[in-house]
Amino acid sequence: MIKRWLLLICGALAAVVTAAQTLSTSPTGAACQRPDNRVLGPRTSDRPLPLLSGDAARGFHPACTVAWRTISPGNEALPVKACFRGSLLQIPNDSACGSGTGPLWVSSRWVMTSAELDKPAVRAATCQQLDTGAWAGTRAFDFDCVPQKRELKGSSQPPAESSAHAPANGASPSLEPTRATGKPARPAHANDGAARGAREPTPADAAAAVPPQGQPH
Amino acid sequence: MGGAAQRGARLRATCSRVARVALHSLLLAAVALFFLNFNLLGTASPSRRFSQDLVYAWFGDEAWLYPRAGATGHEHEPAAHRVVVVMLDERALALRDARWPVPLQFHAQFLAELEVLRPRAIMLDFLLIDPAPQPDICELLAVGARLRKDGIPLYLAVTNGAELASLDAAGCRDIAGRPLRAAQVFTPVSVQRQVDASDFVSRRYPFEQRAEGSAPGSGLASAAVRIYCELTPQPADCLERLTAATPIDAGFELAWTPAGDAFNQRWSHVRCNESISPVRAILNQPALPRESACPPVATLFGAALLSPEQDPALGAGNEDLFALADGAFLMVGGNFRGSGDLVTTPLHTLLPGVYYHAVALENLLAFKGEPKVRKEYRRPRLAFYGYDLLVLWILAAIFQWRQRLVQRVHPLDRSPFQLSEEARSWIAPLIARCPTPVWILAVAALLLLLSAFGALQLIAVAVIVLGMIAVELRVAPRTEIRKRLIGLVLYFGAMTLSLGVIALAIWIGYRWLRLPPGDWLGYFSFVAFGFFVAHTAIVEFGRRIDELNVARKAGRGTE
Repeated sequence: MIKRWLLLICGALAAVVTAAQTLSTSPTGAACQRPDNRVLGPRTSDRPLPLLSGDAARGFHPACTVAWRTISPGNEALPVKACFRGSLLQIPNDSACGSGTGPLWVSSRWVMTSAELDKPAVRAATCQQLDTGAWAGTRAFDFDCVPQKRELKGSSQPPAESSAHAPANGASPSLEPTRATGKPARPAHANDGAARGAREPTPADAAAAVPPQGQPH
Repeated sequence: MGGAAQRGARLRATCSRVARVALHSLLLAAVALFFLNFNLLGTASPSRRFSQDLVYAWFGDEAWLYPRAGATGHEHEPAAHRVVVVMLDERALALRDARWPVPLQFHAQFLAELEVLRPRAIMLDFLLIDPAPQPDICELLAVGARLRKDGIPLYLAVTNGAELASLDAAGCRDIAGRPLRAAQVFTPVSVQRQVDASDFVSRRYPFEQRAEGSAPGSGLASAAVRIYCELTPQPADCLERLTAATPIDAGFELAWTPAGDAFNQRWSHVRCNESISPVRAILNQPALPRESACPPVATLFGAALLSPEQDPALGAGNEDLFALADGAFLMVGGNFRGSGDLVTTPLHTLLPGVYYHAVALENLLAFKGEPKVRKEYRRPRLAFYGYDLLVLWILAAIFQWRQRLVQRVHPLDRSPFQLSEEARSWIAPLIARCPTPVWILAVAALLLLLSAFGALQLIAVAVIVLGMIAVELRVAPRTEIRKRLIGLVLYFGAMTLSLGVIALAIWIGYRWLRLPPGDWLGYFSFVAFGFFVAHTAIVEFGRRIDELNVARKAGRGTE
C-alpha cells in the first residue's frame, strides 16, 4: 500500500517537474525557431530593410540597407535559416550587401514570419517600467510588473503578466542574465531549420491573415 | 473769476491728493516687492519653487500654460514636432547579447534599426568614453555617416568638446577611402544638468556648458538647445540669442505636464492620465502628483523596437510605430539599474536622465524657441523687477482705493474680517469667567493640537469663522452688520479687480516677458493678505511723515 502511494507521489512529482521544464524551456523566440518558419514579407511600409552580418559568437554588425525585392526578387517567402533570441532572423542570402559579409540577418521587427501568423492575436504590449526608484541598499531585485486589468480588456491572450516575466532572450531562462547575480548571458544557439511547406505563403496572405490589432485598452 | 479760482484750487487739491495716493501706493508696492523677494538664508526659494510646481501640477495640461503637442484644447502638432524617448535597458541589450555599459557595436546596430523609422534627428544620451575596438568605432561612424547622408542629424552627448577626438584616433575611413571623422558624423552636445540648490530638483535647463570666466556663447550648447536651433532657418542666430545670458549658471525654466503621454499607456502599469485637483491642496492633502512611472514624453522601449514579441501591438505593418517615430526627434537614453542616470523632476520625481533633454526640447518647440527664464538671469535685471513693482503698484492702488471706500462707510477703518466692538464685548466677558491661566492654557493646548494634526486645521478655521459670524449676527446692531456687508462687498470687488490685474500681468509676463510662474502665487497672497499687514505699518508711517512735512512747510510760511 505504502509502495503504491510512493509510486503515485513519484509519478505526480515527475509529471509536475516535466510540465515545469516544458514551460521553462519554452522561451521567447521559440516560435521563431520552428523548422518551417518563413519570412513572408517586409513590414516597413516600403522602407529599406537594415541587414546585419556576423553571428552569435562574434557579434552582429550593420551590413547595409536594402529593399525587400533585393533579397526576394520574386517576392517569395524566404526560409528562416536561424534565429537569435527572437530578435534576429538569418535569411538565405549572403550577397545582398556585397561579397564577404557571410550570412545576413534581419530584425524580426521589420518582417512578417509564418510563425507569427500562427500565434493568436495579441492586443497588449509587454508590460514595461522605468527604474525610477532610489534605493538606499542593493538595487539588485526586481519588481512585479502587473498591467491594469482594463488594459487587457478584449485581449485574446493570457494576461501580459506572464509575458512580462518571460526571458528577453531566446535561450533558456537559466541562461538569461539576471539582475540578482549579474551573470552574463550565453549566446543562443542558432536554429538551422530548413524551409518546408507545400505552398509558399506570400506577404499578401500575411496581411490578410493578421487580424487588426488595437490599443491595449 | 472767483468760480475759476475755486475750480483751480479744487483741481490742485485733487491732483495733490492723487499724487499723494500714488506715492503711498508706490511705498506700499515697494515694501511688497521687498517682501516677495526677501530671501534670507535662501528660505524663500523653496516656497517660490513649490508655488511654481503647483501651477504646473494644476494647469500643466492646459494649452495656455504649456502649449505642447497634445495639450488640452491644443491642436495636435505635426509629427515633426514630436519628441520620443527611445529607452535602452537590460532587456534590449540582452536581445543582442550585449551588457551594460552599452558597447559601440550595439549602438551601431541600434542606429541602423532607428534609420528605418526615418526620424527627424537622433540624439544619443550616452557618453562613449569606454575604450572600444577600432572596427567597432569605424562601424559606428559608418552607420552614422549613412544616416547623415539620409538627412538624419546625429547628436552625441559629450562632457567636453574634445571628447570626439578619441573616436578619431581609430583612423576610420569611408568606402571611398577618405578619412571618416567623428565630427562629420556626430554633433557634440552638452548633457550637463542644473538643479535648484534649495531642493535639488532639476527645474532649469542650461543653455550651454562653459568654463568660468569665458564669454557667453563660447561654450558647448546643451542638447535640446542645439537640436532646436538647427531646426531654425538661422541656427547660428538662434544659438547666439539663446546663449547670450551672462550668468554661467543661466538656464531656462522647464514647464512640465502632470500627465503621462497617452502612448505610454500601452506599456505602463500605472495610469497615464492622472490629474491633481487644486481642491487637494485646500484639504491639506498632497498637492503634487506622487512618483509616476508614466513619463510625460512618449517612450518606446528599445526591446520593443528590436523584437515584435516585446510589443506585438505596434500594428501588423508597424503602423503605430511609424506614426509615432516618423519625423520625430528620437532621444535615445538608458534606464539601467545602478547607472545613476536619474533626474529629480518637479512633477514625476525620478526619471531617467534622457527625459530632462526630451522635456527641454519639448519646451523649446512648444514656446517656439522663447522659453521661460527667471528674472535673475535676465538683463537688464532692474527692468524685470521694475515690472513686478509696476504690477504691485497697481494692486496697492486698488487696495488703497478700497480702504478709502471702507473708511467712508466706516470711519474706524476696520478690516471686514475684524471683529466688531460689540462682538468683542460679548466674547470677552464669556472667556473672563474662566481664570486667566485656565483660558490661556486651553487656547495653547488647542493651538498645539491644531499644529500637530494638520487635518484639524481646516475644520478649526471653518468652525471659528462660522462661530464669529453667528456671534456678529447675534450681538452686532443692524447698521454695523450692513456696514460690514458693504465692507465685504468692497473687499471682494477689489479682489476681483486685483485678480483681473494679476491675470493681465501674468499674461504679459508669461507670454511677452517670458517669466516663469514662480511669483504668481506671491501676487495672489499679497493681494489677499499681505497688503493688510504692510498697510498699517508702512502707509501710516508714511502719512505721518507726510503730515510732518506739510506742517513744517506751513510753519516756514508763517514765519
